[in-house]
Amino acid sequence: MSGEEAIRLSGSPDLKGSVMIVAWAEDASNLGVRAADYLLQSLGCREFGEVLPEGFFPMSGVNVVDDVARFPECKFYVCDRNNLVIFKSSIPRMGWHRFLTSVLDVAHRDCAVKEIYTMGAMISPAAHTVPRLLISIVNNKEIKPTLEPYNVVSDNNYETPAGQKPTLSSYLAWLAGQRNIPAVNFWVPVPYYLVSTDDPRAVKRLVYFFNSKFDLGVDFTTLDSVIALQNNKIARLFDKSPEIKNMVRKLEVGDGLDGEESEKLAREMAEALK
Amino acid sequence: MGIRYIKEPELIDPVMIAAWPGIGNIGLIALDTLRRSLQAEQMAYIEPYDFFYPRKAIIRGGELVKLDFPASDFFYHRTGRRDLILFIGEEQPAEGGGVYAAGSMAYDMANLVLDVAEKYGCRRIYTSGAAVAPMHHIARSRAWAVPNSPELIAEFKGYDNTVLMSDIEGRGGEGNIAGLNGLLLGIARRRGIDAVCIMGEIPIYLQGFPFPYPKGSKSVLEVLSKALDIWIDMEVIDELARQSESELTRLYEKLPDEIKQQLDRLKESTVAAAESEGLITEDDKKKILDDIDKFFKHDVGGEQK
Repeated sequence: MSGEEAIRLSGSPDLKGSVMIVAWAEDASNLGVRAADYLLQSLGCREFGEVLPEGFFPMSGVNVVDDVARFPECKFYVCDRNNLVIFKSSIPRMGWHRFLTSVLDVAHRDCAVKEIYTMGAMISPAAHTVPRLLISIVNNKEIKPTLEPYNVVSDNNYETPAGQKPTLSSYLAWLAGQRNIPAVNFWVPVPYYLVSTDDPRAVKRLVYFFNSKFDLGVDFTTLDSVIALQNNKIARLFDKSPEIKNMVRKLEVGDGLDGEESEKLAREMAEALK
Repeated sequence: MGIRYIKEPELIDPVMIAAWPGIGNIGLIALDTLRRSLQAEQMAYIEPYDFFYPRKAIIRGGELVKLDFPASDFFYHRTGRRDLILFIGEEQPAEGGGVYAAGSMAYDMANLVLDVAEKYGCRRIYTSGAAVAPMHHIARSRAWAVPNSPELIAEFKGYDNTVLMSDIEGRGGEGNIAGLNGLLLGIARRRGIDAVCIMGEIPIYLQGFPFPYPKGSKSVLEVLSKALDIWIDMEVIDELARQSESELTRLYEKLPDEIKQQLDRLKESTVAAAESEGLITEDDKKKILDDIDKFFKHDVGGEQK
């Protein structure tokens, strides 16, 4: 199957110099997908195509998540009035190069994309009360100054440790660079005890950036309500368990927790935030 | 997807030698030693994208400066009579996360390697890997030779310290060579090219560990030196083998006495000796592996078992 056969589009959107935002499923706290969903709903985007799963997923059955059978989805959405493309996707299990090449084909050929942004979470030992950083990795020096007004951390040094693999976002950015498409990988540190639930502050950090940079006119009311609701639930947990509260305070001042404490905090927090 | 040529040298009646990683990295170390000894030059590579996920990202000052893929490189060396093409694959293209190549990617890669062999008129190909054997690490490794055609058997019977599968006690000439070091033999046969896999022995108790085993590599190099009629500088591999034996002996001394006693019996075990009663049996081998496994809580895998 060629790269073109891997794509199904329902017409090409009429875009010029557009921006593509990429979110991968199975992220810590499902951050990328939550941020993408918020943008999709806020901006009224419409689906216009997909990468077909054959050749990228094992097709050996389906996963069941929250009692529901899930099948891989790799979908393109367009927000015409904002000149914005969103690609929300399961992470392919094989054929990565052809998969990403197919995504870039759509970006370049069908959407005239001029910049690509990926969204992802990194697990952090910090408390949830600490303001979320937005860390960027660029594939092109020239795009870096355009991020400066947005309080983005952009001076990281990193090498993939032995035994680990680079992220799919890095791979996409690298392939985009081969086509001279500037790309930015965004990473937001998510407190480890929110990884299995939700981190709406991290979602807001990402959405806020895109809203500011591209003047999208996003309404944050719903997201702020989600943050307030989470705050209330955590406050109730603190009232019920001073021990948990004390653990979070320790994280706030940079004191680490031992393994048992860490596990307990994650477990109780997951239960409280259900 | 394909082969990218850096240069296309004219070669006389070349022979190809190929290796990928495996148990003890025996084939890979042998071939890399040969490449360095001959100062072979790179001539081509296989594009990695359809075979491998990148293995390393390098980020400097917030910029992704490099994405590194496992290399699959061809080198050449002119001997003036029978030139050499070396192929070194840093990783086997494994579907489903295994260590050894399998599936359509393995088949495609083997065919690309053979495309280069055919383009240059190679009439013979050698691959190299590990043979897991009931031996001790202080013993000299032998080389097991597995040709893809019965006509080649006589030649390899004549080489020093070299055995065929039928020489191995209890095997009846049968076995399996996992991954591309084996697959290449089969596909070469389909294309009418003679091919032989030379496997250096590695002690059974080391098969699940990520240690290189240069003694096994040396036995491969000795066979290649003879078969190709070339001189190979063994100084480096000898030094690696000495260091490896010394390190293994140091670790060995830390083993519990019960396990050490089991492994000590392997010092007596050779092909000839194994035919005598009272030495290493299949049950013994199983017990040794189980004990070692329990001691290190380590999964074991196999290449030629």
